[in-house]
Amino acid sequence: MSKQINVALIGNPNTGKTSVFNSLTGLNQKVGNYPGITVEKKEGICKLPRGVKAHIIDLPGTYSLNASSLDENVVIELLLNKNDKDFPDVAVVVSDVENLKRNLLLFTQIKDLEIPTVLVINMSDRMKYKGISLDIPYLESQLQTKIALVSTRKNEGIDNLKTLISNYKELSITPCLNASEIDKEYFDNLRKAFPNQLLYKLWLVITQDVNFGKTDRNEIDAVADFKTKTKADLKRLQQKETIKRYQFINNTLKKGQTIDLSTAKDLRIKLDRILTHKIWGYAIFLVILLTIFQAIYDWSAIPMDFIDSSFASLSEWTKNSLPEGAFTSLLAEGIIPGLGGIVIFIPQIAFLFLFISVLEESGYMSRVVFLMDRGMRRFGLSGKSVVPLISGTACAIPAIMATRNIESWKERLITILVTPFTTCSARLPVYLIIISLVIPEGRFLGLGYQALTLMLLYLIGFGAALISAMILNKVLKIKSKSFFVVEMPNYKLPLIKNVALTVVEKTKSFVFGAGKIILAISIVLWFLASYGPGEEFNNAEEIVTEKFASKHLTEEELQNEIASQKLEYSFIGLTGRAIEPAIRPLGYDWKIGIAIVSSFAAREVFVGTLATIYSVGSDEEETIKNRMAGEVNPILGGPLFNFASGISLLLFYAFAMQCMSTLAIVKRETNSWKWPILQLVLMSVFAYVVAFIAFQILI
Amino acid sequence: MQVTLAHLKRGERAIIVDVSSINIPLKLLEMGCLPGNEVELVQVAPFSDPMYLNINGTHLAIRKETAIHIIIEITNE
Amino acid sequence: MNHLLQNILAFTLLFLALGFLVKKFFWKNSKPTKDIGKHDCDNCH
Repeated sequence: MSKQINVALIGNPNTGKTSVFNSLTGLNQKVGNYPGITVEKKEGICKLPRGVKAHIIDLPGTYSLNASSLDENVVIELLLNKNDKDFPDVAVVVSDVENLKRNLLLFTQIKDLEIPTVLVINMSDRMKYKGISLDIPYLESQLQTKIALVSTRKNEGIDNLKTLISNYKELSITPCLNASEIDKEYFDNLRKAFPNQLLYKLWLVITQDVNFGKTDRNEIDAVADFKTKTKADLKRLQQKETIKRYQFINNTLKKGQTIDLSTAKDLRIKLDRILTHKIWGYAIFLVILLTIFQAIYDWSAIPMDFIDSSFASLSEWTKNSLPEGAFTSLLAEGIIPGLGGIVIFIPQIAFLFLFISVLEESGYMSRVVFLMDRGMRRFGLSGKSVVPLISGTACAIPAIMATRNIESWKERLITILVTPFTTCSARLPVYLIIISLVIPEGRFLGLGYQALTLMLLYLIGFGAALISAMILNKVLKIKSKSFFVVEMPNYKLPLIKNVALTVVEKTKSFVFGAGKIILAISIVLWFLASYGPGEEFNNAEEIVTEKFASKHLTEEELQNEIASQKLEYSFIGLTGRAIEPAIRPLGYDWKIGIAIVSSFAAREVFVGTLATIYSVGSDEEETIKNRMAGEVNPILGGPLFNFASGISLLLFYAFAMQCMSTLAIVKRETNSWKWPILQLVLMSVFAYVVAFIAFQILI
Repeated sequence: MQVTLAHLKRGERAIIVDVSSINIPLKLLEMGCLPGNEVELVQVAPFSDPMYLNINGTHLAIRKETAIHIIIEITNE
Repeated sequence: MNHLLQNILAFTLLFLALGFLVKKFFWKNSKPTKDIGKHDCDNCH
């Protein structure tokens, strides 16, 4: 009988653990250099020799079993809970040949939990380059384990690893460190109180602030003796434990590892001299940022135009070729424009994730954290907040998830709260269409007014994030020690395969995540715009024909009048007119009102909504932009989208919190409704006030 | 001469003599910041904060406020 | 007949879309999510 065995992949960040996971399972996922990138629980199935199947979990990267971040808790919670269905039969600790000493710390801790453990020494292809040689049999005997030398880059050693995993029953479970060496008296007492428990496990339960099973913690707390140790005492013991472990590791490596420094070449020193330089470092970072923005706006314009025009002609074609009826109209006026509104984002999102994943994979992101920490601290943020803020230009959702590795809760909370101010890609279509309507095409110092406006909007976004961070830092009374420890990993050439997978995966998750919502909303909107209650809607044709009977309109003009009468009295029109009084001071009419209301689900719905509203009942193949330009302000006269209302709209979108998914993520990450609601109310009120002031001044 | 890690200059090497465990995150100790280990300042950001260190082969960055709790003995100039 | 079919198709899509949105935004998440936010990160250093 072949039973499926549970395998847990554990290792320090930046050891290529996820690459090992990919090699074993073939189920490719992301490899990141930035700590904390492996956040979700990743699982895969791997076929081992002799027909055995292994269920493999890729656990978040951690430096030790003493959890210091939310992701690391996942590791220790699993390893301490024998009843968990994923509790490993065998642990595979992945280490990096260049940082073996540090990596072995985690190995010894896991070994001490008496879980059969295989040690993977990854990146073995770098040994020669770094002048490292290892005495594997000696290391195996000292560490009482089996070692697999692996190079995921060259795809070597994976089969050997599979064999070792399948023979897990032969692995020794002798601990590396005798727990009572840490403090004899204390541990003797522990042993007396809980004779059946593993000492090291008890020790972890005492020192860690995580949820385990149900019983353990309470049982221990019940025995008063073990409460006597203060936090400081416990920490001193933890330090002692760490020192003991390093003594053991140093003794082992003294004989098992030789490093010939004369043959070692170091590229990192040369690169770091420039990339983290006080002046050049910042200059290079700025150039990289500018390149990213250039790529997002310039390079993606061509595919975007193509997508835009393709969907317009597809819609036209559908209308002409299919039999007339409700379904055909829904397709041509609701679904196809809705789909177009999703697909058009793909080029920009792909470019953004391409750059972010290259920066992460190469190890450069940690240098940015280093360079920016001092400046960010002024605003109550951390150097680690830079990554969320930059990722926020793609989407606030992954950005907020990327805050998990910020150690200080206060800095993390502030980062979460201000990230939605950065200009995410969903704001972009709104900005682009309004800018093209209200900002003249002239040039200033060789730069187009329109491009300058867009850049200004990005700066406003970052500025709003930083200023509100500063305010929150003053207002929030959270006592929080701010610790900042960032590993500076070696520079690596990003693996094309990994980068490509990230780009595909992120784009896919956008298209199928946000895309479904946008599509569903555009279907509902089409119905709301195509049906209505009451006389004015149902008898629109007669009413309009009668009204214009004396004016001798052409057939086409008459049809347009009927269409706009219908829209005005449709469900959506009535809703829009109901809220019109509230938005009129900002310079908007009821159509914009509907678009704003519907874009509280997701901002990008704005353009889609206007597209749906304007294309319902109109025949010509005309771009949305032309239709918007032709709209007249019903009260003030003149074009509806003029400079004043345009700027007011831009500012409204810059500040308003219009994204349900982000609110849901904030709720999840802060585990409270308090913060997302605060965010929604404050940002929206602020947006309204700013838009109001802007319109009243400019009009 | 014993000083705090915050006094280390670029390119200088030192031996860690003592760390005040109360003020230092455990994570830093686990990354090798322990008495007896060698430390080198690789690079500093403006205002010498944060500091980019090489502790016993592990490269990491910490803030100055953390560095003042680590006592070192400078071994070469 | 053709008109009826078109209406049926269109309204089916409407209900699918509505169902999806309601499920997405108003349904309680059936999967129990872990209480990660409860953990105070500052205490574990």
